[in-house]
Amino acid sequence: MRKVRILTVLISALIFCCWGSVQAQPIENELYLITPVSKDVHDPVLKAFDEYARKKWNIQVKTSAIPKGTPVAYGQILEWKGNPQADIFWGGEGTLFDDLAAQGLLEKIQLPQKTWDEIPASIGKPVPLPLKDPKGFWVGTMLEPYGIIYQPKLLKRLGVEIKDWDDLLNPKLKGQIAQCTPDRSSSSHATIEVILQTHGWDKGWAWLTRLAANTGIFTARSRDVPSVVAKGEFAVGFGVPSYMAFAEVLGGYDVMYVYPTNAYLTPEPMAVLKGAPHPRAAHAFIEFLVSEEGQKLVSQLGVYPITAKYKVQGPPGSNQEKAVAFTGGMRSFFDIPVGNVYDVKLAGEKKRIEEVNAYFRKEITEKHKDIVKEK
Amino acid sequence: MQGSATTTVGKARLQIRRNIGGLACYLGIWAFLAIFLIYPLIRLFYDAFTTYEDTFTFMNFYDFFTDSFYLKSLVNSLLLGVGTVITTSLIGIPFAFLLLRYDFPGRNLFSYLSIVPMIMPPLVGVMGFVFIMGRAGTVNVILMDYFGFTKPVNFMYGIHGVLIVETLHLFPLMTLSIVDAMGKISPSLDEAAESVGSRGLRKFWDITFPLTTPGYVSGALLVFIWTFADFATPLVVGIDDLLASQAYLNIVQFVDRRLFKMGIVISAIMILLAILFLIVAKRYVAMKDYSSLSYSMIERKSLSRSGKVGVVVFLSSVLILAFIPYLGIVLDSFGKGWALTPIPVKYTLQYFQRVSIETPKFILNSLLYSGITVMICIVIGVPIAWVMARTKLPGRDLLDSLTTLILALPGTGIGIAYLRAFREPLPFFETALIGMWVVVPLVLGVRRLPYTVRGTFASLQIVHRSFEEAAESVGAGKPATFRDVTLPLIWKGVLVGSLYSFILALQEASATLLLVVPGHEMMPVGIFNFYMGGSVNEAAALGLILIVLGATCLFAINKITGARAGGVFG
Repeated sequence: MRKVRILTVLISALIFCCWGSVQAQPIENELYLITPVSKDVHDPVLKAFDEYARKKWNIQVKTSAIPKGTPVAYGQILEWKGNPQADIFWGGEGTLFDDLAAQGLLEKIQLPQKTWDEIPASIGKPVPLPLKDPKGFWVGTMLEPYGIIYQPKLLKRLGVEIKDWDDLLNPKLKGQIAQCTPDRSSSSHATIEVILQTHGWDKGWAWLTRLAANTGIFTARSRDVPSVVAKGEFAVGFGVPSYMAFAEVLGGYDVMYVYPTNAYLTPEPMAVLKGAPHPRAAHAFIEFLVSEEGQKLVSQLGVYPITAKYKVQGPPGSNQEKAVAFTGGMRSFFDIPVGNVYDVKLAGEKKRIEEVNAYFRKEITEKHKDIVKEK
Repeated sequence: MQGSATTTVGKARLQIRRNIGGLACYLGIWAFLAIFLIYPLIRLFYDAFTTYEDTFTFMNFYDFFTDSFYLKSLVNSLLLGVGTVITTSLIGIPFAFLLLRYDFPGRNLFSYLSIVPMIMPPLVGVMGFVFIMGRAGTVNVILMDYFGFTKPVNFMYGIHGVLIVETLHLFPLMTLSIVDAMGKISPSLDEAAESVGSRGLRKFWDITFPLTTPGYVSGALLVFIWTFADFATPLVVGIDDLLASQAYLNIVQFVDRRLFKMGIVISAIMILLAILFLIVAKRYVAMKDYSSLSYSMIERKSLSRSGKVGVVVFLSSVLILAFIPYLGIVLDSFGKGWALTPIPVKYTLQYFQRVSIETPKFILNSLLYSGITVMICIVIGVPIAWVMARTKLPGRDLLDSLTTLILALPGTGIGIAYLRAFREPLPFFETALIGMWVVVPLVLGVRRLPYTVRGTFASLQIVHRSFEEAAESVGAGKPATFRDVTLPLIWKGVLVGSLYSFILALQEASATLLLVVPGHEMMPVGIFNFYMGGSVNEAAALGLILIVLGATCLFAINKITGARAGGVFG
């Protein structure tokens, strides 16, 4: 008898949980992201969207994010085979989005034409970086550089100053650098590509080997890099997205950011997955994020607006002003000359990605102990 | 005359119906194990031995055994496992011996505290250690600020860090197993040895140690497997040339299909190794099976004054080391912006607010899923124990082996096996089992089953068969006997086994990390996600809540059993 009762409870709980709302509403009351964009950004944005939906449609949206590194998220979406458990893929490289679109796994973006047109097609020289998909399958949501971070107190103690990439090769920094491997982090991967494309293949790897000689840890994920630097475990972080480190500043830690020459810049693409369980909520979310309200919100989080229309600006003491101080005075990417050597056509090839990752694994991570000893 | 004959026939019919009912239940248990344990494992091995085109191949294993990095990982994992067995033995055996044989101040407290390190959830332990012993941890900050050290001492980053964390986390497993085994040694054997002049170390080697071997072997096996399967600890201290880490890292990156396959192959190898170790251990233990031994009261010796001081100092220093992560977790869960100072300078409750009030789902889901897990454990586990202890049904030896096997299976391997086995949509449903939250309590139910089975089995063995026979002789059927006679006598054992299942279900993260459905995260997954997402403080706060829950359960177990609770782990 008891077994039966327990079973009944179990089954009803199961039905209750599987039964989503199917009423005809302007948007569904659930929204799921799969994203490499860290909690520091996706959490506040999701929360703000819930409030926005409550005000606009009086709908409470239950939101959640599956935090996955870019390659993992991409693989997971392939694995779902068009029956995704998430609605939106957010973040990573535009080429991966192009790949997914080519395989028919994305839906077209539905934005008002005016909003769509306000987002520039590309930014940066000599290689222009696309900020939206001409075919309309993804759209950039914010601008975010991947650079160098450091713990000021530790760096001072070591007697080192960091202004650009080459300062990382200072022998005084031995054992002090934290980085993530390129197969676990798209920000590392992109930054390594920047180095390879600046110096060329052979010289680039020689540079990266010298960097490895100074490296104290290869972290499990890219988000660990700013954590261990903020905590003071390591003095310098390589290939860190600005917002990740800025989250540590907001959390009360002391971290500084350097935007080095030709640093990788990402528009953090966003797309709706084909067969998404909550498509209307997904499209509404994108529209919210690129609106003035959404862009204002992200400019408080250490990233930059996707259009020239908005700037990182706020009253003294606001998070916006803290962010400006943290990155050395920058307010918009459309005010400064943006250097970009990162060639998507070259770096985005699946074969090239695997080649870079495999080379890094074989020649850097697996030989790390020897590299440290030799130098 | 006729009336009585009818009753007999009726009784016989009833008996048959009962037997059929019982048999159906028995088959049900087997069906459960077949679907949720055997099938996923077979599926995993199938995947390991085939290509993506479903053709049979040895190439995957060839690739593994010709890759120097994987081989190095395999060797490292084995060495780390053996190393941890040695260090936990060095701490765990004296600990058990002292607790069992000697009287000294605070013995009961030490006995309780010695189990507590075990309830440290994965990842939380190593985080706590890094806060205190890391390069910018309390110890190094003090050394650099006050003692003129120019460079931090590297306590944590490297394989030695993993060894420290595993040792101080797992030595209680060893202590429990030894306490359990030693508790069964009859004092008369000791006396006999002493009467022929064997004393001290000699007596320990000749009498005590051999008799403790079965318990020791099972403890050692558990320590080995836990270390072998742990991927979270090494990742935090920057080590990835271990088998478990490679299995995890390869499987969570879906992009490179070759690496993905390698993840499957590595978990298959880990499971094969676990089975192999189990067989070896079983054989060794079976050789030295001292079935005649029974629990008996042990007279504790009192110590000299200096002896007492020595014992207390030894036990305290081990426990202080083992409690380092707790200190780190407490400080970091309340401290804001803690960096490069011995202790935090600003304190806040915001992290607790965020993980408990703003997002209560971690705690609620944890309690719900662990509750369901315990129900599964009881519904499946108690009958299994009963079948093993009371019947001669075919297949009961296999049941015993299967429950022991579960103990030895690395969680990562099980998680990956489930991922592969249950990815197709279920009949009548649109989603696959791995897309539904029930998969988590199910996998937890399977993983934690042995604790309930063993707890129940141990109690059943203590209940004398004659009680049940007496009940049956006056006409009570088997279910009635079980309900009215057996259950009241064994409920404590069932409860303790279930509580262990509950604690360990609360803490499990290796299988569930791979299987969790978005929106249904539990606490250990929350800890992992917070940590990986850079919100270390929130991870610490959630970790502290989990520790408190675990300690409460442990306290309850302690109260119920009166400080002796080793058997479930053997």
